Amino acid sequence: MISAFIHKFSSPKSFVQITKTLYPLFIFTGLSMLIIGWTWGLLFAPPDAVQGNSYRIIFLHVPAVIFAELIYFFMALCALMHIVWRVKLAAYLIKSAAPIGAIITFIGLFSGSIWGIPTWGTWWQWDARITSTLILFIMYLGILTLHGSFSNLEKSDRLMSILVVIGVVNIPIIKKSVDWWSTLHQPASISVSGGSSIDPSMLYPLIISIIGLGFTLISLGILISRSYILGREKNKKWVLEHV
Amino acid sequence: MFDIAFKDVNEIMGMNGHGIYVWSAYLIAISILVVSFLVAKNRIKGVKRKIKIKNAPS
Repeated sequence: MISAFIHKFSSPKSFVQITKTLYPLFIFTGLSMLIIGWTWGLLFAPPDAVQGNSYRIIFLHVPAVIFAELIYFFMALCALMHIVWRVKLAAYLIKSAAPIGAIITFIGLFSGSIWGIPTWGTWWQWDARITSTLILFIMYLGILTLHGSFSNLEKSDRLMSILVVIGVVNIPIIKKSVDWWSTLHQPASISVSGGSSIDPSMLYPLIISIIGLGFTLISLGILISRSYILGREKNKKWVLEHV
Repeated sequence: MFDIAFKDVNEIMGMNGHGIYVWSAYLIAISILVVSFLVAKNRIKGVKRKIKIKNAPS
């Protein structure tokens, strides 16, 4: 029953049609919220008592690293769907999400490095959080490289899914690294269950920035997946009708 | 909560010596995102063009 449900709602044709309709809404919501969140955070939020104005990178850095992890988690779910139920769309989505994951992890790493210069006095430290995030970035690149190294695309999809599932072990390591090891990073300031230690004047723009970046990345994902799906399914009748 | 945290544009740009870090981080991130969107849009156009050419009546 689950298998029948998944196969019914996971046809590449429906995905392309539905996301084409949703794209304008997602990109408008994403960009509007990013502009509001970043303007609020950069100009209206008060300076931090300890870090001064350098903390304003938080409105870029924190959303970026949150989505660096969430995108991988999404890819792992897709990989399971591909391995267990052989859902073709799931493999297409992994291949489309991986470059976005690499881009946003890179943004998270370099914004953290820039923030580290005035705050820690160094742009790089081999601390557990930074190192595990660098491993995540390398994982994204590895997934893309692996998929591109086979001429048999079905085989590539399957090996890519297996690699994604193996690599998911890194996500809880990144999340818990600040608790398990002594690192330069502070423990989490916001938790889904237990509230926040950040003042509302800084927390609200941060939440808006997180939601805004989320919608923006979904919009980018829609564009990348659309071009990939059209390329992969180019011999299908629905693609000819679509273009 | 909605009072601007700076006196003038110079203060906004300088951010007490931290402006170079803050603005460069945002500028680079925005540039990467804009380029990614442009590349993705161009790819869709390219794929559609290839499919049309392949299936054009000869």
